[in-house]
Amino acid sequence: MTEYGNPVTYGLKWLYLLLIVCLLMSPVFYVMYISFNENGFGARHYVFTLDWYKVIFTDRQMLTALSWTMKLSIATMLITIPLSLLAAKYYKTTRHKVLTVFLLLSPLFVSSDIMGSALLVFFKNLNGVFTFVGDKYSILWLQSWFELGFTTALIGLIIYTIPYAFIVILITMGRYRQQQTEAARACGATGWQAFTDIEFPQIRPGVFSACAFTIILAFNEYTRTNLLKGGFDTFTTVLVSEMLNTGMSEQSYAMSSLVSFIAIAIIGTIIIVTLLKSDSIAQRERVKAEPGSNES
Amino acid sequence: MSIRSGITTSLTRWVFILPIAFMMLFFALPMILTAVWSVFERTMFWMEPGFTLFSYENFFTSARLLNFLASMYHSSIAVLICLVLGFPIAVFVRRRIPQAAQHRVVLLFILPFMVSETIRVFALRPVLQRNGLVNGALMKLGVITEPLTAILYTPLGVIIGEVLSFLPFIVFSGFLAMEAVPRYIFEICEDLGANTFRVYKDIILPLAAPGIFAGSVFIFVNGIGVALLPNILGGPGAVNAGLIATQAISALDFPLAMAVSAIMTATLFLLLYIGHRLFDLTHILDPVNK
Repeated sequence: MTEYGNPVTYGLKWLYLLLIVCLLMSPVFYVMYISFNENGFGARHYVFTLDWYKVIFTDRQMLTALSWTMKLSIATMLITIPLSLLAAKYYKTTRHKVLTVFLLLSPLFVSSDIMGSALLVFFKNLNGVFTFVGDKYSILWLQSWFELGFTTALIGLIIYTIPYAFIVILITMGRYRQQQTEAARACGATGWQAFTDIEFPQIRPGVFSACAFTIILAFNEYTRTNLLKGGFDTFTTVLVSEMLNTGMSEQSYAMSSLVSFIAIAIIGTIIIVTLLKSDSIAQRERVKAEPGSNES
Repeated sequence: MSIRSGITTSLTRWVFILPIAFMMLFFALPMILTAVWSVFERTMFWMEPGFTLFSYENFFTSARLLNFLASMYHSSIAVLICLVLGFPIAVFVRRRIPQAAQHRVVLLFILPFMVSETIRVFALRPVLQRNGLVNGALMKLGVITEPLTAILYTPLGVIIGEVLSFLPFIVFSGFLAMEAVPRYIFEICEDLGANTFRVYKDIILPLAAPGIFAGSVFIFVNGIGVALLPNILGGPGAVNAGLIATQAISALDFPLAMAVSAIMTATLFLLLYIGHRLFDLTHILDPVNK
């Protein structure tokens, strides 16, 4: 028997795997298909058009929401990634590994509505405390710190994205040999220099992937953002309110498709780049391990 | 050591604790406090400190409990379907795909996850509804003559939504779990003539149990907690804990929302405790040294 077993069953298993991926993606592909139909969903005749996409870019409310969503996503990324990096470094050295990983990964197991509700009440209480202290000691800038708005939505999104970024960075760090840092320190480098000059270049692909994941996750999130955002709208909250109030319009299909397409394109690019890089790294390592061997 | 370097060292130590402190303050603390807020007295628009079990009474003696139990039942079915459909993929990848390519294959399952859950759930409407993709395909193939109406706005619709939303997680956790099953074990099993059923029952499941359990808990808890699924795909009676909590917040009944959150947190901890006692979940992080 070969490593792959019976070639027919091997092929069938591959087919099954790809079928499941297609099944998971089919609703999204179907929405994309509808978004290009001039006659919309359920029409007897399919007429290709890009008009529904043009409508999106003339919708002022949607453009404002998109701008808020981008600001929120980028701010989330800018805070989540350094925190996740610090958390991964801490995890590597701490003795309390189980407790640390439990705390950092628990948000994965708490559903969005439950976490959003708990944070909403927490921030309302916190805002009450800050307002009270601000009033009592006449510190005006304290009063609006935790009022529902950008900051509270940002904190909710950071809590949501940290587990994902932490896992991606931790896995990448797993391939890094700590002895390299020790060698750099022994040569007189500071901790910061050892990190920026030796460790970071090696974990950079993982950090960049974590950045992309974080932005996409924050951009796509609805429930936590909706509960914690206060007065402004984001892309998903506009989309959901349109869908709930007027049903799935052709414009909703186009908006959903556009965002899905961008997310798939970003992640697809990362996957392809990662694969190409890991191939070249593996090849280089093979050559290093066997100096006499041929690269081919 | 100079004072300056002493300060730098102690600052550096504190910087690394920052994420832990952040998670303690903005995640662990609010989740723990849900139990405290759940016994507060409800006021017209908010709540005030006090001690009453009215919210729990409200939850456990009304139709909400039945809805919660029904959502648990539907979520359990979704977990089973995800396991049956997704876990063999994880086994196949670990067992048959060359080691260098394994992670790349699993990455394929990240793609659906990167599309907004909101869009994925809403996208199921045109797929499942009366003149949607599923009915259209089945009618074209001649399997049915009349469109099926029992898919969307029924518990079946919610279960389909849960399976399509969470199936990638069973592949990820299964893939992680399978690290505890070395490849040579399969070769030994093949040499001894064990059939697939026995390999699964006696080898794979016992060794990969912690990862399978973690993936199942994830799907189960999200199935009973994500309000969007019953809200969009279920009928008028389809309610889960997440929907009860958000409806309570809309009705300004904050203690009830917090009671539901506390019940969900307690359910999660109970499941993780049982899992830890049965399988020692720490081995997920270090499967090779099991």
